[in-house]
Amino acid sequence: MKEDKQDRMEMLLKRSVPPVEADQEPSRDLWPATLRGLEMRLDTRPPAVPWFDMALAGGVLGLIALFPASIPVFLYYL
Amino acid sequence: MNTHPYLRAYLAGVFVPTLVLPLLLTFVVIRLVHQVPIPVEQALIFPMAVVPLLWGLWNMLWLVSAKRTHLPIGLHGAILPLLLMPIGAKLATCVGMLAIGDYGVTWFQTAHVPYALIAPMFLAALVGYYLVWKYVVGFLNRVLGIA
Repeated sequence: MKEDKQDRMEMLLKRSVPPVEADQEPSRDLWPATLRGLEMRLDTRPPAVPWFDMALAGGVLGLIALFPASIPVFLYYL
Repeated sequence: MNTHPYLRAYLAGVFVPTLVLPLLLTFVVIRLVHQVPIPVEQALIFPMAVVPLLWGLWNMLWLVSAKRTHLPIGLHGAILPLLLMPIGAKLATCVGMLAIGDYGVTWFQTAHVPYALIAPMFLAALVGYYLVWKYVVGFLNRVLGIA
C-alpha cells in the first residue's frame, strides 16, 4: 500500500517536471541586456542644471559678494 | 544595497556640514594666531553639533515621507532653515555671538546686519539650502541607493 503511494507520487512528479535537456542555451545573448540594466541602475550623474537654478545660485553669490560680512553667518548655518 | 537605508540617509545628510567644519576651524585658528578678542569658538557648538545632526535627521525624514508626500528633496531641504535659524539665533544670543540692536543685529561682534537686509539674507539661505539639497544631498542619496 505504502509502495503504491510512493510509485504514484514518483510518476506524478516525473510527469509534472519536464526533463532538463543537455546543452540547452537561451535563444539570444542575454549579457548586453544585463549590462544595459546595470548601467542604468549605476547611472548617478547629476541631472542637467535648469536655468532658474543657475539664476538662483547667481543671486545668492551676488548677495554674498555685495555683503561679504554675511559669509561667517552663512557658514554658521551650514 | 537594501540594508540600513536610514543609516545611509543620515550619512548622506551629514556630508555637507562636515565639509564646512574645517572652514569654521580656520576662523578659530585666525582668532588664536592674531589674538582677535572675539570668542568665536563659543558659537561653534551649533555648526559642529546641531547642524550636522539636524541635516542627517532631516534626510532620514525625507526618506520616510517622500513616498507619501512626493516632495522634491530640494524643497524639503529649503524648509530646514525655518527650523535651524531660530535655534541658531537663540544659541548665538545665549553665548553672546548675536546682539540685537535698534537698527539691526550684530553677528560675532563685527558683522552688522540691518533689519532691512535680514529678509533678503533669509531668502538667500533658503535658496542656498534648496540648491545644496537638490544637487549635493540628492546626488549622495542616488549614489547610496536611497533615491
